[in-house]
Amino acid sequence: MFHWLEKNPFFFAVAVFVVIAYAGIITILPDFMNSARPVVGTKPYTVLELAGRHVYIKDSCNACHSQLIRPFKSETDRYGMYSLSGEYAYDRPFLWGSKRTGPDLMRVGNYRTTDWHENHMLNPKSLVPGSIMPKYGHMFSNVADIETAYAEALTVKKVFNVPYDEIDMPKLGTFEESSKIVLAEAKMIVDDMKSPEVKAAFARGEIKEIVAIIAYMNSLK
Amino acid sequence: MQSSKIINYDYSVAKLFAIATIVFGIVGMVVGVWIAFQMAYPELNNLANEYGTFGRLRPLHTNIAIFGFILSGVWATWYYIGQRVLKVSMIESPFLMILGKIHFWLYLVGVVGVVVSLFMGITSSKEYAEFEWPIDIAIVVVWVIWGIGIFGLIGIRREKILYISVWYYIATFLGVAMLYLFNNMAVPTYFVTGFGDWWHSVSMYAGTNDAMVQWWYGHNAVAFIFTVPIIAMIYYFLPKESGQPIFSYKLSILSFWGLMFVYLWAGGHHLLYSTVPDWVQTMGSIFSIVLILPSWGSAINMLLTMKGEWQQLKDNPLIKFMVLASTFYMFSTIEGPIQAIKSVNALAHFTDWIPGHVHDGTLGWVGFMIIASLLHMAPRMFKREIYSKKLLESQFWIQTTGIVLYFSSMWIAGLTQGMMWRATDQYGNLAYSFIDTVNVLHPYYTIRGVGGLLYLIGFCMFAYNFYKTMTVGKEIEEEPHSTSPMAA
Amino acid sequence: MNWLNDNVNLLGLIGAAAIIIITIFVVGKYIKQIKYDKSTGELADENWDGIGEYKNPLPIGWSISFIGTIIWALWYFLVGYPLNGYSQIGEYNEEVEAYNTKFESKWANPDDQTLLGMGEGVFLVQCAPCHGITGDGINGKSADLTIWGSEKAIVDVIVNGSKGMNYPLGEMPAGLLDATSAKAVAAYMVEKVTKTGTQNADLVAMGETLWVTCTICHGEDSKGMNGSSPDISNYGKPEFIVNVLNIGKKGSIGNMPSFNDGRLTDIQKLSVGKYVNSLTQ
Ligand code: HEC
Ligand code: HEC
Ligand code: HEC
Ligand code: HEM
Ligand code: HEM
Ligand SMILES: [Ca+2]
Ligand SMILES: [Ca+2]
Ligand SMILES: [Cu+2]
Repeated sequence: MFHWLEKNPFFFAVAVFVVIAYAGIITILPDFMNSARPVVGTKPYTVLELAGRHVYIKDSCNACHSQLIRPFKSETDRYGMYSLSGEYAYDRPFLWGSKRTGPDLMRVGNYRTTDWHENHMLNPKSLVPGSIMPKYGHMFSNVADIETAYAEALTVKKVFNVPYDEIDMPKLGTFEESSKIVLAEAKMIVDDMKSPEVKAAFARGEIKEIVAIIAYMNSLK
Repeated sequence: MQSSKIINYDYSVAKLFAIATIVFGIVGMVVGVWIAFQMAYPELNNLANEYGTFGRLRPLHTNIAIFGFILSGVWATWYYIGQRVLKVSMIESPFLMILGKIHFWLYLVGVVGVVVSLFMGITSSKEYAEFEWPIDIAIVVVWVIWGIGIFGLIGIRREKILYISVWYYIATFLGVAMLYLFNNMAVPTYFVTGFGDWWHSVSMYAGTNDAMVQWWYGHNAVAFIFTVPIIAMIYYFLPKESGQPIFSYKLSILSFWGLMFVYLWAGGHHLLYSTVPDWVQTMGSIFSIVLILPSWGSAINMLLTMKGEWQQLKDNPLIKFMVLASTFYMFSTIEGPIQAIKSVNALAHFTDWIPGHVHDGTLGWVGFMIIASLLHMAPRMFKREIYSKKLLESQFWIQTTGIVLYFSSMWIAGLTQGMMWRATDQYGNLAYSFIDTVNVLHPYYTIRGVGGLLYLIGFCMFAYNFYKTMTVGKEIEEEPHSTSPMAA
Repeated sequence: MNWLNDNVNLLGLIGAAAIIIITIFVVGKYIKQIKYDKSTGELADENWDGIGEYKNPLPIGWSISFIGTIIWALWYFLVGYPLNGYSQIGEYNEEVEAYNTKFESKWANPDDQTLLGMGEGVFLVQCAPCHGITGDGINGKSADLTIWGSEKAIVDVIVNGSKGMNYPLGEMPAGLLDATSAKAVAAYMVEKVTKTGTQNADLVAMGETLWVTCTICHGEDSKGMNGSSPDISNYGKPEFIVNVLNIGKKGSIGNMPSFNDGRLTDIQKLSVGKYVNSLTQ
């Protein structure tokens, strides 16, 4: 009965395409606009936080850590309030992850602090005996890429109308203006840190990856 | 039948891809074994500074395994099967011949780009779509070249009716093309602003929408890379190697169209209890259950093709690989749907049970099918006997043991972890800190590592056997009709 | 603990068993056919590279199951749980309510022993990552809770000062008194103010004369002058810890986060306060 299709490769391919194409349209499109709307109070990342987010992605922390708190009592007790769609409105890409080798980090900013992260990233086992998380010593020597973070912030502002520079929202400005803000923000973190290497670098005007990733971690609330 | 004897098929592209399959298989699995042991012995993270950490290596493992090993296997078999079931040789069209070669070499360049960029930490983080836009573009080019190759060969075919395997290759081509394009939509930031790294880009979708597009892609990447082209392989190699006709044409056709229709709806099962709308999740769950049947249809069709052929199953290791592959295919396609039931997913999601499920499919189904396919092709491509049957037999048992260790340890690990995360003490507090749940997994991570190592050893035996077949296997005069000749 | 009290655990385990049982059963059936059956049927005319095809009908069990799941899917989506007929947040709210009725009534008036047990559980999950499993502060990375609140700790506070709880009076300066006087004030404070008892009874009288140093900021009654500084009359007691949990502390060792994001209930805060207190030697 289907032999006709099997003799006509063109129509066969069209038929396959039609059959596979519309499921995506029907499941993804209807709630697209709705899902893009931010929850009140959600703000885009500052440039320093974005630089930290890039470090998170570069080292694939998402391979082990989720950022999605499911609505179960056991999760809200451990990690805090369950996630809401609008809280992710400025997450490009989303970083929900699909495996929890380590704990969820969606709201880690609520219960971990700069000094804790500094110790932990340098040597997780020194704080949590038995931890299988890698050491991230290289973040104390690598310099964060602020320029690319700025480029991303400016891109999403221009292309997707992300509300930088609006009232109550993070300020972007020109690259020079932005760099000043980044330094001020980084200073608050460096002040809470102990590493002489990081402090010395900051005095030279260099921001290490560790500073950026801590800024990002602290922003997760 | 007769004309197929006259036609002089050209396997030069198939051979190149076959070798690539083996090389990438070894590399991907070495990295897999490595990261498996890292989870048991985290000191192994520190051997190559930032380049050796789990986070950098895991995407390398998945991408080399999927886009190196599996895709090479898919193409090796396409350049072999395509000609034979369409009854046309690539020699007949210099254009297709050159295109095939370009396909291979361009692909190789792409893989090098992938390896270098992932080591450097250049990734967009979306699973199985980690590459930045320059590599995405290269992939699209490679894909289009393959597409021209497929339809070119179909265009000059002698066999008017497309064989089942060809249906599946066409579907692979179309499915991946559609999924890959949409999921990788991104805006390069340098070109918008003039600042920063030129290769950096930002996703077109944000948050929940990004997640929906990603798992519409991710789930169906599984469909159209781990499943559909592998079915293409089994529909050709099992009947060919056994000399048995396909059990039922009707079952083939219903399974094919059923799979095409149902698969695409099921992506929501990766997002259960997330912030995507409830109804999308429900769709994902119920379509996953329906998906059991079209999946099992193909596997049953294959098992019934072997009806009454117990002797062959006992005597021929290639048949063993393929029958066990169908079995693992059935196993993972009932495991997946059950994990897609909401309450089960509440326990299973985020745990090691998921990598367990993944490797039931990749090691048991994909890996075994690719191994069997290449071994069936070898005597026909090189006109030599398979070098050693004994080696093949031991390989089979070593790898099967490896898979059993892999999945049993991950099942236990996943269920334990899931239950510990939820457990409360008599006061209603969480009973375990997170690190408690990590510590109990140590033995299972070790067992998984050993299982993976066994599988890798078996794969190296296969590589050796294949290499020997290629170089010193006993020459054969006439192409065997069915059972592949092998030296004891 | 009873793992099977939890629906999700139960369904998870049933699911795992079902996967194995169904696979073995169905594959077993076909293996039997491979062993004992014979392939038959009418061959189709086509033939691809030597591969033939039977025109056999669909396996009956397969067809029925396929139709069955389709009907079930339609039923589920249109009748069972129609569009918007289910909400995961609603389910969550029910879960929390059921939990509360189970535990909050059960432990509405906990005795000390209960609080200690409860507190230990909370401590190991929420506090141990920073303070260590024994509460020793992990080599000075955070406050050593095995001495926190003790007489010795007060001396330390007086000599080194304290900061980071964001009181209107700001920081407590270091070096208010020398070491000996500090010891005396501490003795007085634990004997007369917090009433936890001193080991240096002989210093209490001297401490009393110096106590004015402290009342300037902490008030005559030591209660912190309406929130200008901390209420130290309950220093070294669970209530003080509860207060720390509510406001956090960015001190000279590091940063102690506050715990008012809803993860801990009041009773859990009190219980962990009790437990921490019990660690003090
Ligand atoms: C191999 C897996 C792995 C990788 C990769 C990994 N982690 Fe972890 N992480 C863990 C484990 C396991 C824990 C729990 C034990 C602990 O606290 O050390 C953890 C804990 C954490 C915690 C503490 C969370 C809490 O609630 O206690 C933070 C923060 C964290 N990781 C951040 C990161 C960042 C940032 C990266 C990437 C740069 C990263 N992790 C990469 C496994 C990993
Ligand atoms: C200049 C005002 C001032 C004086 C004088 C003062 N305190 Fe305090 N005290 C504070 C403030 C402000 C805090 C809260 C500091 C913080 O944020 O941790 C505090 C905190 C404390 C704490 C709690 C420390 C902790 O671990 O949280 C103790 C105990 C204490 N004071 C005891 C004393 C004693 C004993 C004296 C007298 C010797 C004294 N204070 C004198 C202002 C003062
Ligand atoms: C992210 C790390 C972290 C976590 C989690 C944490 N603490 Fe702390 N805590 C600290 C640090 C750092 C200090 C020391 C602050 C200082 O004085 O510099 C501290 C100090 C304290 C103090 C002394 C405060 C004072 O007034 O001197 C108490 C009591 C305390 N923590 C109790 C707890 C309890 C109870 C929990 C869990 C429910 C907890 N902490 C969780 C880091 C943490
Ligand atoms: C009927 C068929 C199948 C269904 C319904 C299904 C369902 C699922 C489900 C529910 C998950 C877990 C999602 C989560 O909780 O994180 C999953 C993950 C996965 N499955 Fe399957 N599965 C099927 C077949 C297969 C097969 C045959 C393979 C491979 C050969 C496979 C490969 C994967 C992979 C790679 C993942 C991991 C995705 C990730 O990164 O999170 N699946 N599948
Ligand atoms: C020698 C055998 C192998 C070993 C030891 C191994 C090991 C691993 C490990 C340790 C992980 C990470 C799991 C985690 O994060 O918890 C993983 C993930 C993965 N592997 Fe393998 N692997 C092997 C072979 C393969 C093969 C042959 C394929 C594909 C053909 C494959 C595909 C994948 C995929 C898709 C994932 C991602 C799973 C997910 O995200 O859930 N693996 N593997
Ligand atoms: Ca995954
Ligand atoms: Ca991409
Ligand atoms: Cu899926």
